[in-house]
Amino acid sequence: MTRADSELFTPERVRSAAFTPTRLGRRGVDEAEVREFCAWISDGLGRLLNDNSMLQAEIQRLRNRLLDGKGKAGIRPEDVHVQAVSVLSRAQQTADRCVADAQEYSRELADEARMRRDEILREAKVRASMILEEAHSSAAEAAEAARDTPDPVALADQQGLQAEIAYLRTFSDVCRTHLRAYLESLTRSIEEWERAERDGARAAKDSVLHT
Amino acid sequence: MDERRLKDSFARVAAYGDEVALFFYSHLFLAHPEVRAMFPVSMLAQRDKLLGALGRIVAEVANHDTLVPFLRGLGRDHRKFSVLAEHYPAVGASLLATLAHFSGTAWDEDLARDWTEAYTAVALVMTEAAAEDATRNPAAWEATVVAHERRTAEIAVLKVLPDVPLGYLPGQSVAVECPARPRLWRYYSMANAPRPDGTLDFHVRVIDGGPVSSALARTALVGSRLRLGPPVGALRLDASSRRDVVLAAGSTGLAPFKALVEQAAGLAGHGPPRMHLVFGARTAAELYDLGDLEKMAARWPWLTVTPAVSEDHAYRGETGTVADVIGRQVPLADQDVYICGSPAMVAATADRLRSLGMTQDHIFVEDFGWSES
Repeated sequence: MTRADSELFTPERVRSAAFTPTRLGRRGVDEAEVREFCAWISDGLGRLLNDNSMLQAEIQRLRNRLLDGKGKAGIRPEDVHVQAVSVLSRAQQTADRCVADAQEYSRELADEARMRRDEILREAKVRASMILEEAHSSAAEAAEAARDTPDPVALADQQGLQAEIAYLRTFSDVCRTHLRAYLESLTRSIEEWERAERDGARAAKDSVLHT
Repeated sequence: MDERRLKDSFARVAAYGDEVALFFYSHLFLAHPEVRAMFPVSMLAQRDKLLGALGRIVAEVANHDTLVPFLRGLGRDHRKFSVLAEHYPAVGASLLATLAHFSGTAWDEDLARDWTEAYTAVALVMTEAAAEDATRNPAAWEATVVAHERRTAEIAVLKVLPDVPLGYLPGQSVAVECPARPRLWRYYSMANAPRPDGTLDFHVRVIDGGPVSSALARTALVGSRLRLGPPVGALRLDASSRRDVVLAAGSTGLAPFKALVEQAAGLAGHGPPRMHLVFGARTAAELYDLGDLEKMAARWPWLTVTPAVSEDHAYRGETGTVADVIGRQVPLADQDVYICGSPAMVAATADRLRSLGMTQDHIFVEDFGWSES
């Protein structure tokens, strides 16, 4: 019997193998054929064993991946494709730029807000001191005028002046109150702005958590 | 391992600059997507740190006396980022892939072996230091804000209570992370000597556009939870020195000095040195802690406090920079001068002191808490 190496290696073919009986009345079968048959079986068995160990290794690798799969699977370093790395890198750079831009914008806003605040406070201070000065000098003038006219005839005048002094005092108080209210409202709006920002930050965080 | 070959290889790869770290992190995240969550959204600063650390390791690869302490510190410090021993092989694999990619045809088996050996050694030192540290300290200290005082529009003073006591030396700092800015850390000095109740004070100045400082000042109110890293920093009061001490503080650079003053108050032996604290700010309103400092000065006769205002000439006290005031007010012979503030303030003050004839060994500087975050 003869067969090609590539012929299908099946249990049936092995079981049904037939050999030519030897000639010249000797018992047994053709030795060459048996040797060839054994070689064929040996080759086939070798291939199968080889396939088997490769499959075993593959099974082990997949099993490991599944076992590690709970959170930290990952793929083999050699499986990471250079193009994928490049795509992810460009995405990361875009994210970096967005964050940097946002940070720069917030820096500029804060800077501007601080300058504006300093300006408002400076102006308010100047106005306050001007108003107070005015009130003081009016009061001083009035007092002077009152001293310069001790004449009983000018009593009516003096009363008028006193009324004016009283008026100026009230005016000064009103100015002070207004100024205080103005500064308080400024402080309040700064606080409101901060609260809004805080809520915004929290909302942003929540939305991040929910996506 | 061939030291020359390793250094040449790194020089070739490092010439690609930021691309190298970009490739490395993308590779790592593709191979292990779960690791991405350990990093902030923007990786810009992170990439600089990676290249910096790699450069330093390669430069000192044969110099074990300096390299090992650096790596041990790095290993301990990475615990606060939730880095575990099992992350190291993943990082090593991506690092090797990155080096191979940028080495091109120069990459061969010898180089691969050199780098594998070097990385294995580095990872071993780092993981060992982390494991040792884990027997004594938590990875990070969870803490609660117990007081939050907004002293000015830009400055807040926080009192924080860690769940587990955090031991530190006066003058040291910790990295702080707040829930509003996950994965972003910023260093703050403890503004008090260790207290029996374990609370820590932090002086937080809002940096325009700085994500961590603004979140701490505005959103880390009472009840907020923070995470603190291990204490770091080498600013120390030299208790053995008999010289008088000048503390030059620019704005919230005051924080570590309050800790040093409190420490001095408790010194045994020949007692506290004479201390002169110069506290500088732009305007009088920004002398945010003057009330407390005046109380300390009233309580401890060896302490003098001089506030200085640089941008308000109508101010009734000392005007000018901290350097100006020290130059005018303090005789510098037999003094140790400690400086803490913005990098510009620290540099200007140190320059002035040197021009006044002070030698470098009596000038102590702390400025690493002033990054832009």
